[in-house]
Amino acid sequence: MQNDNAMTNAGAEQEDKRTTAKVSGEFVTIVAIFGLTIAMILASRAISPSFGSWSQVETILYLSSFLVFCAFGQGLVILVRGLDLSIASVITLGGVLTASLMNGSNEGLIYLVPMILGACVIVGVVSGIGVAYLRVPPFIMTMAVGLIVYSLCLGFTRGTPRGYPAPLLSDFMQGKFLGVPAPVYLLLVFVVFGTVLQSYSAFGRKLNAVGNNPLAAYIAGLPSGLLIVSAYAVSALCAGFTGMMLAGYASGATLRMGDSYLLPSIAAVVVGGSSILGGQGNFVGTVGGALLLTTLATILTALGIEQGWKTIMEGGVILLALIALREQSFAFLRDVFGKRG
Amino acid sequence: MKLTKIAKALALTALIGAGTQVVSTEEASAKTKDGKWLIYLSLSYSGNSWQSEAANIVKALAATPPFNETVELVEVISGTDPQAQISDYESMIANGADGIVSFPISSTALNRVVKRGCQEGVLFFMYDATVTEQCAYNISYITSGFGENSAQALVNALDGKGKIFLSRGVPGNSVDDRHTNGAMHIFNQYPDIEVVAEYYSYWDDRTTQQETAKALAAHPDVDGIWAQAGEFGAIQALLQANPDRLVPMTGENSNGFRLALANPDYQAKGIDGVSAGSPPAQSGFAFKIMMEILNGTRDALPEDQRNIEYPLPWVPGDAVVLCEGDKFEDGCNAFPDGKVPSSFVTEVFNPELLPELSLTSALEGQPTPGAEIQPLPADAVKAAPNEPGINCRQCEAPADLYHLTKIEPTVQP
Repeated sequence: MQNDNAMTNAGAEQEDKRTTAKVSGEFVTIVAIFGLTIAMILASRAISPSFGSWSQVETILYLSSFLVFCAFGQGLVILVRGLDLSIASVITLGGVLTASLMNGSNEGLIYLVPMILGACVIVGVVSGIGVAYLRVPPFIMTMAVGLIVYSLCLGFTRGTPRGYPAPLLSDFMQGKFLGVPAPVYLLLVFVVFGTVLQSYSAFGRKLNAVGNNPLAAYIAGLPSGLLIVSAYAVSALCAGFTGMMLAGYASGATLRMGDSYLLPSIAAVVVGGSSILGGQGNFVGTVGGALLLTTLATILTALGIEQGWKTIMEGGVILLALIALREQSFAFLRDVFGKRG
Repeated sequence: MKLTKIAKALALTALIGAGTQVVSTEEASAKTKDGKWLIYLSLSYSGNSWQSEAANIVKALAATPPFNETVELVEVISGTDPQAQISDYESMIANGADGIVSFPISSTALNRVVKRGCQEGVLFFMYDATVTEQCAYNISYITSGFGENSAQALVNALDGKGKIFLSRGVPGNSVDDRHTNGAMHIFNQYPDIEVVAEYYSYWDDRTTQQETAKALAAHPDVDGIWAQAGEFGAIQALLQANPDRLVPMTGENSNGFRLALANPDYQAKGIDGVSAGSPPAQSGFAFKIMMEILNGTRDALPEDQRNIEYPLPWVPGDAVVLCEGDKFEDGCNAFPDGKVPSSFVTEVFNPELLPELSLTSALEGQPTPGAEIQPLPADAVKAAPNEPGINCRQCEAPADLYHLTKIEPTVQP
């Protein structure tokens, strides 16, 4: 912070202006992405009369919650200039451990839940150490760790994951409270918690600093290595948590249960306005990205069009959203209108 | 795909090991040094219950006396890329394989290497999926009409009208195409049957659940679901959307689905249907035929007659019988809740063709204690009809390709 002040003083007014523009740009991105999602939901009424209804919103919130959980961790890793490709495997690990250790009983849940999540955190710590201290590129490190974890799951289950999650967990994931699926409440709590952690806590600000300029953060006395490791640990924790929730949702685990979350978790972060190069990001935007992707998938499934067209449209919309929601695009528009005015 | 690399590394080690063993093999009988048949089990990928069970069956049989003395089995996992399986086949042929039992990844891409292997005297036995190269044996239920029969069962349950979902398999896969074409042949005859959503569930429970949930958001009033493997996920999605309403549906052979069909609570909520589809037991059947040919107790078939049909399992809700023990005995066809996971594919057993197997065989790949390999019944092998692109290249499909074998229409179009 000392440095910042010094720079602001030196750069005088111009620095101030840039900061204001940056904050408002982020805000506009978030408003735009949520606006786009709501517009899509409303417009989907044209496809089916049941669309645009509260129950559709419920379904979208429900299904997107899994993506939100794991995208939060992915967002932190991307924030510190990394990438977590082990997410799919760690989701599977969380799910497989949940099903096999709980084995259909509520007994010992107090120990089992921390144990399962702890196992996942260890995976994250290993990735983090590789990236931060052994200087292995994040892409390679997390891919290798993911491979190893997946193979361990395969060996452990011999291809057929057995057991069931605790009835308490299944009941929670499949239950409703005041007419709304219980996981939707969990999602809301998670979003508040995640936003505070990433944008308003000392931990989050330090991660931001490391992502912005690792060298500067190091000189400023931040334990950047430790912070990077912790980002990977949180990511693995979130992925394990996602796996646990998914196992509760499906009343069991499969070895491929994490596969469909890896790329969307990265897409949600980037569509939500974070920079893939790190140093800039906001969890609310990521949540918006996850909602947008899930809404899109829901509508495309209901359209009943050919699979090829479906994936083309999915890719197209992600690309469009990314281009349209970039700050530069807003800045460009501002410039154009500014010149005219 | 992740698994593939490690599996390949392991397989390579195994191949090198096997290679050193067959160097000094005599030409007449291409056996390994210690007098065993060298058999490769070539899989697509591991990681779902079906693939693992099919592989475990072969492993269990190979460890059952007398095969434990006469067979050396090497497992190789090729992933989902046909190119990888081609090079794996090449290595197996080079290593002097006597036979290859395989789940082929593509029905056409493997033809050339299979042909080459046949010329070197390797026996190819494909299970479940097929190849169009005529020198390979195809042991498959695919021609037995899962699509059309299950579609007719759904039409009957719906009285010929209603909105339905199609929960399909893997896009572009010939098995998925065959099933769906058969089903649409029936559905198209009934103008009051309306397919309101069609989605790919990748033969996976969880994907089916999420995709069905998405489709239900648009069509909560759906009247029926025609599903391929993964069907248990569709039931969970229905219950999630409305705990009091189920609809008639057809699907494959998961234990969860069979239990649901027989569950009186679920029946009261509206479930009604048939469990049919792909049996992992095909792999064991293929392996046993191959061993009988190798051992000389069965004659090899002429090249254009090597398509063998595995009978279609067909279990309506009222025919579900729970097994007391670890086998299909006394006509039972499902296991009690908690004994196996709901995604467990029940059709690993076949009391006539594969009496050697029990639950441990399917789940762990271990032989059943005390079991011995029994010869196949004399009438076990039935020819499969030609289906161009599936089990032959330049051939004509019979005119009555989609004729019903398991069920009669109760409603006329």
